[in-house]
Amino acid sequence: MPSLAIERLESALQARHFDHTLASHRRFVEGVARVAPTGWASLDAPLGGGWARGELSEIVGARSSGRTGLALATLAAATRRGEVAAYVDAVDRLDPVSAAAAGMDLSRLLWIRGPALTAEQARPAAIDDAVSKAVRAFDLVLRAGGFAVAVLDLADISPRVIRALPPATWMRLARVMDGATGTAGRDTAGLILGDAPVSRSAGGVSVRLTATGVWAGQSPQQHRLARLAIRAEIVSARHIQGALRVGA
Amino acid sequence: MTSLVACVVRESPNLRLPLNLPSLSNLARLFSPRIAPWLDAAVVFDASGLDRAIGPPDRIASEVCRIAAEQGMAVRVAIAGRLTTAWTLAHARRGVSIARPGEEAATLASLPLDSLRSLGAGPLDSLRSLGLRFAPDLECLEILRRWGLTTLGDLARLPRGEVHARLGPDGVRLHQVASGEDECPLAPVDEPTRFHERSELEWPIDSLEPLAFVLSRLCDALEGRLARADRGAVAITTRLRLVTKTAHERTLHVPAPMRDARVIRTLILLDLESHPPGAGIDVVEIDLDVAPGRIVSGALFDLTLPSPEDVATLVARLSALVGEARVGAPVLVDTFDTRARALAPFVVRDARPASGSVRDSDSRTDPGRLSVRRLPLPVAARVTLEHGRPARVQPSARGLVGGPVTQCAGPWRSSGAWWTLDRRAWDRDEWDVELPGAVYRLAHDRASGSWSIDAVVD
Repeated sequence: MPSLAIERLESALQARHFDHTLASHRRFVEGVARVAPTGWASLDAPLGGGWARGELSEIVGARSSGRTGLALATLAAATRRGEVAAYVDAVDRLDPVSAAAAGMDLSRLLWIRGPALTAEQARPAAIDDAVSKAVRAFDLVLRAGGFAVAVLDLADISPRVIRALPPATWMRLARVMDGATGTAGRDTAGLILGDAPVSRSAGGVSVRLTATGVWAGQSPQQHRLARLAIRAEIVSARHIQGALRVGA
Repeated sequence: MTSLVACVVRESPNLRLPLNLPSLSNLARLFSPRIAPWLDAAVVFDASGLDRAIGPPDRIASEVCRIAAEQGMAVRVAIAGRLTTAWTLAHARRGVSIARPGEEAATLASLPLDSLRSLGAGPLDSLRSLGLRFAPDLECLEILRRWGLTTLGDLARLPRGEVHARLGPDGVRLHQVASGEDECPLAPVDEPTRFHERSELEWPIDSLEPLAFVLSRLCDALEGRLARADRGAVAITTRLRLVTKTAHERTLHVPAPMRDARVIRTLILLDLESHPPGAGIDVVEIDLDVAPGRIVSGALFDLTLPSPEDVATLVARLSALVGEARVGAPVLVDTFDTRARALAPFVVRDARPASGSVRDSDSRTDPGRLSVRRLPLPVAARVTLEHGRPARVQPSARGLVGGPVTQCAGPWRSSGAWWTLDRRAWDRDEWDVELPGAVYRLAHDRASGSWSIDAVVD
């Protein structure tokens, strides 16, 4: 791990009174590298720079609340820094065109596609199986290590199905991330994308999103959906922050 | 460092080339990578430097004999400073013979003249590959015997110029051998280019768990050979001969050369989990296509990326879980059909961003930018129109909200693939519609007149 290597190097340099040479890198290690920026500047500030690495956080919101946009922005930021990211897509909803438009380097994204189901009308057994496989795939990604961000997309899945998972599932994932089972997941920011709160680790945060469409153009020919006006509410173990306006 | 050459000769030589690696070669490779085998009857290897690891030449020779005995081979061993001397001694004397560097001529002196016949003991080409460039002229040997010479020492004591005057170049070469001189140095052969391991099982294997043990043994052997040759596997072919007398063959292509036995074994097992053989397994074979090993240079401040071995293992595990065609990196499809999605193999490249250094501001995305969630199977919807525009949407799926349209934009016409004969052609109008609780991307198929929800803006 670079952080460990840097610590050793700093110790060696400190013994020889050369530690000032690494001052700029210490800021890098302690500041930026321990978080994965969300890609939205207005959200990074209240989050202390971004999603905490080694923690399981969640993005919660109803349909058209901007939750996918936030996940894609986070992944795009990671891939643009040269890191790799993973997207576990429980029911195959990722749109590569949207991902590329968000600025993502698609070649640095590992996309694990679940079955092509319409979650809203599929058989319960098929959904249960898809969710179970997605959670296992997410677990494998975290254990492999080396990914800056790993997203588990459970949006559009009925909360009933998610509640049916064994409660230890989320605790196990959190333990993988905090390094209890090895160092693999400590540098990964884990994100769960859901309609309703699912779970987060002790140091993770929940970001609840709501949005309304912003339409532009007066005439029928010019009328178009321009953007989403998004409001975010950050909930963490330490504080509940009021709603923030993150989009115009 | 003193130059030393060892020659190992089988007591009962097998002159046929075995199908697999000669076991004498394997024995020699335990001591040195620079070996030159002659069929499976003799092998010469470079023993220089072994004195620091094992001890003096007699200890090296004893060690060779001990390991050969453990492997069930009776051998003669000779160690000398020169190749030809070691070869001649090993063929002439049983047991262990040592000629310390500089004492070759003295050690050879007592050997009978017929010892030189060992230089012609086999096909000339094989001897040439060892660095022994000639076979002795039997007529020359007969002439020497008629001169009254009986030992190599007798021959070495003759003036070389006089020998050349009477016997020509052949006589000089014999004189050089008797004097403990080499015509050319040892010419070691390369490692076999085929990285192949095979195991015939006493009892058929029906499940993957016991197969894992067999694969471990084969992969361990391959790992050692790959490491010695500084090679890594880029394609792994597993051949299973089944009890039904049929073969089950699988080939895995890995993104980067790798040689870790555990990784290779895991990849094979995961692949066989996804594609199990149809019957019990009698024979297991692994064949590797190799490439030069990777040179990895670590950096303190570079970003941490998963290693190619980790990625290959992860992708194999994920493929076994969700299917091979469902894991990879997304790619943009060259089409105007916005529903098209595809995957490419996921390969980790270096940590440098594609466009140089990235500032914080570069890695930010505009909040509120429109992204869509694509429905893999479009959901049919009943759409009520007013003035040619959607006014109410009622999806057929209960989980999707329906209701009156508060805002809409469109249509955007899209068509393509009409030139193909299959059913990939499309001709439709797309609309963005906002309902209380959702923003959908609707599609109206112009041929059938049906409406569907293709995606959700999110």
